[in-house]
Amino acid sequence: MNTTVEKIENERLGSCYYKVKHSSGLTMLLAPMEGFTTSYAMFGTAYGSVDTFIKTDEKGEFKKLPEGIAHYLEHKLFESEECSAFDRYAKTGANANAFTSFDRTSYLFTCSQNFKESLEILLDFVTHPYFTAETVAKEQGIIGQEIRMYDDSPDWRVLFNLLGAIYHKNPVKIDIAGTKESIAQITADLLYDCYNTFYNLHNMVLAVAGNFEIDDVLKVADSVLKPAEPFFLERGDCGEPEEVVTNFVEQHLPVSVPMFTVGFKGKTGTEAENYKGSVLDEIFLEALFDDYTDLYRGLYDEGAINATFGSEVFCGRNYITLLVSGESREPEKVYEKVKAGFAEALEHGIPEDVFECAQKSVYGRYLRATERVEGVTTTLFNGYFPGVDMYEMIEAAATATPETVLERIRNTYCAENSALSVIRP
Amino acid sequence: MSETLVRKEIGKNAYLSSIKETKFKSDRITVCLVTSLKRESVTVNALVPFVLRKGCKSCPDFTELNKKLAKMYGAILDADVSKQADLQIIELSLQFIDDRFAIGGDKMTEQAAKLLCDLIFDPNLDENGLFPEKDLELERSYLIDTINSDLNDKRVYAIKKTSGMIFEGEPFGICRYGYVEDAEKITGEQLSAAWRELVKTARIEIMFTGPGEPETAEKVFAKRLAESEREPASFERAPIVPYSEYKEAEEKMDIVQGKLVMAFRMGAPETEREKNAARVFSALYGGTPFSKLFMNVREKLSLCYYVLSHFERATGVMLVDSGIEFESRDAAQAEILNQLEAVKSGDFTDVELAQTKLIIKNSLGSVGDSLGAVESWYMTGILDGLIVTPEEDAAAIDEITREEIIAIANKAKLTTVFFLKGGEKE
Repeated sequence: MNTTVEKIENERLGSCYYKVKHSSGLTMLLAPMEGFTTSYAMFGTAYGSVDTFIKTDEKGEFKKLPEGIAHYLEHKLFESEECSAFDRYAKTGANANAFTSFDRTSYLFTCSQNFKESLEILLDFVTHPYFTAETVAKEQGIIGQEIRMYDDSPDWRVLFNLLGAIYHKNPVKIDIAGTKESIAQITADLLYDCYNTFYNLHNMVLAVAGNFEIDDVLKVADSVLKPAEPFFLERGDCGEPEEVVTNFVEQHLPVSVPMFTVGFKGKTGTEAENYKGSVLDEIFLEALFDDYTDLYRGLYDEGAINATFGSEVFCGRNYITLLVSGESREPEKVYEKVKAGFAEALEHGIPEDVFECAQKSVYGRYLRATERVEGVTTTLFNGYFPGVDMYEMIEAAATATPETVLERIRNTYCAENSALSVIRP
Repeated sequence: MSETLVRKEIGKNAYLSSIKETKFKSDRITVCLVTSLKRESVTVNALVPFVLRKGCKSCPDFTELNKKLAKMYGAILDADVSKQADLQIIELSLQFIDDRFAIGGDKMTEQAAKLLCDLIFDPNLDENGLFPEKDLELERSYLIDTINSDLNDKRVYAIKKTSGMIFEGEPFGICRYGYVEDAEKITGEQLSAAWRELVKTARIEIMFTGPGEPETAEKVFAKRLAESEREPASFERAPIVPYSEYKEAEEKMDIVQGKLVMAFRMGAPETEREKNAARVFSALYGGTPFSKLFMNVREKLSLCYYVLSHFERATGVMLVDSGIEFESRDAAQAEILNQLEAVKSGDFTDVELAQTKLIIKNSLGSVGDSLGAVESWYMTGILDGLIVTPEEDAAAIDEITREEIIAIANKAKLTTVFFLKGGEKE
């Protein structure tokens, strides 16, 4: 296979990026940005905490993996036989990091100098795993403390408690880092198995934005990347029912004011449908709950919510939920009003004036993401696996109408299929 | 960064600084009312930005105001309070997309500058010169929640407790949002008096960043300032204390991970060169993923997920903090101090030093690529009385020698230790 380069342009923004299909099998999305000194690179795989039930060859059986293994693998990949990737980055001055989400693992760096050298380190360490029993054991203590840190975080707990209330079987409800018990089952062999399954260049993407030369990326890729094996993976269907588990869940933790998150469970579509649909969902959420709505004003004036009140779309490969969260001394009352507002909008639609506000806000937010190297890299990266181009998201926001938004919401959500999660002092 | 800072006095002790950067798609204007951080005025001043955010004479209704912002393509209007050393800063900022991207050729910069002016100088006061009673009540109660919300993030809570102990009796220790007992007592008269005092006497620093025309904003603000009665007050800056008495405390909370914070006084570094040496030292000690603390406390002993050190220029103090098992406290504290001894005795290579400088320079190189970072860089410099470009700062960092690192490390003296641990709250 030969390397091919395709230019993708957007008239509205007057900008472009390049889609490269590299001979190794890796797709690269490259957006040089004039006037910027920073470059931001993100290399990753469609592998996250939800990938715990998989089949790696057509005739084989489904196997179950320990919870938290994708995240564990992310930590361990930083080590090689000679030294850690951080030691290598120290020579270039790049600021490096990595994170594991529900359905992705990403390795990234930002730099304002030595771009080529840093990119070489990134592509090299992610494609060269090295684990031993000793190095794997050493990480137990470190990740154990990461898990503890999240156990003490009310923001984190309020979300995961909600996911537990909404999802029966979908592994999205499991903590990304796993538990102390589940990570104790992780061995070097198991890490190699997962690595060989998911870290196949056909299942990965490299996104770069900012100050760099396309040719430099191609040269580094040519020298570091070897052609990937054919890729086969089947993810087990978790058999998630449409309904939520329960409408209410609560936990006591030290917080100043009770925290809450309301979730409206959506019917999941394909990954692309979820991702594209999320733009319309965002417009809907803003039109209902943003600070210019009557619902917000009513709750605010009653002292039932404060400025922390907000909404977002939580979506990925096979899950989508609308979240409304904040602080409140009367979370049950807020939940009732939010549900009633939701049902009312589905029945009677959204006032034109409010729709205009919501659409312009969402459009402005997507537009602003394109003036930051981090925003461009992340948008390119996140859009790759669902197969949704960065500009399609902006166009979706620019061309949405009250009818298209309502149709999407009516087909995907209903006010009653929801839950409230509360953290109380 | 290619563009340079242009700074003009546009009224009595009122300045507009601007950085024109055509690569951005939005512009950002921030207005800061700068005053002394004082125990008696901190809380009522902290309430001012939140009531100003509710509306103004030209747009008195909160919902209408927010609609107006949404239609400006989701312009972001933020009102908040910050502090730098012994200064309290009341700030309103507005970020909006540039004229070029507005459908229908809207004049965004002028609209934005006028709106900020209206919010700050022409709030929605009643015939008695008071803010609406409802706004006072709601925002006072939100201010109290904000003060208490430190509890939600145990790391922030532990650091704040430590600061309170280190700077007891100094202005540096005053909390930026003030105190619950004072917030509860704020009356309508006190609130509007605080606003009047701020717009009359505070130093006003306005910053414009983005591709738009700063001159447009300048005209709007200069006109308004000329119409308002200004009698700027001068204020004395508090000195940095070289060393203070050692203090230690523990607190129990219903949590599963302990939070250890250790604060070091650095002998009040005076010269820029010495402050820069302290920055490089702190990064080498615990500011990078190849630092002494990261490599030993985390990677070698597996005691924690995070351990970081940070030198605060404004107060001259270095903080080290980490999340650990309750029973690892002694081991962690001992290792943190061991690593300090290592740096003091010069147990670091020239390569480690060069790489530490490189990572600092790398982040300085990125400052110019974000509106928020550009603004924050120059605003900090302006308030600190020393405006340098990130490039000049990088050059100064490069000059720091091994001997200077050892010298400043030897000035570090443990002054406060705070440990938040599990158990019933006492």
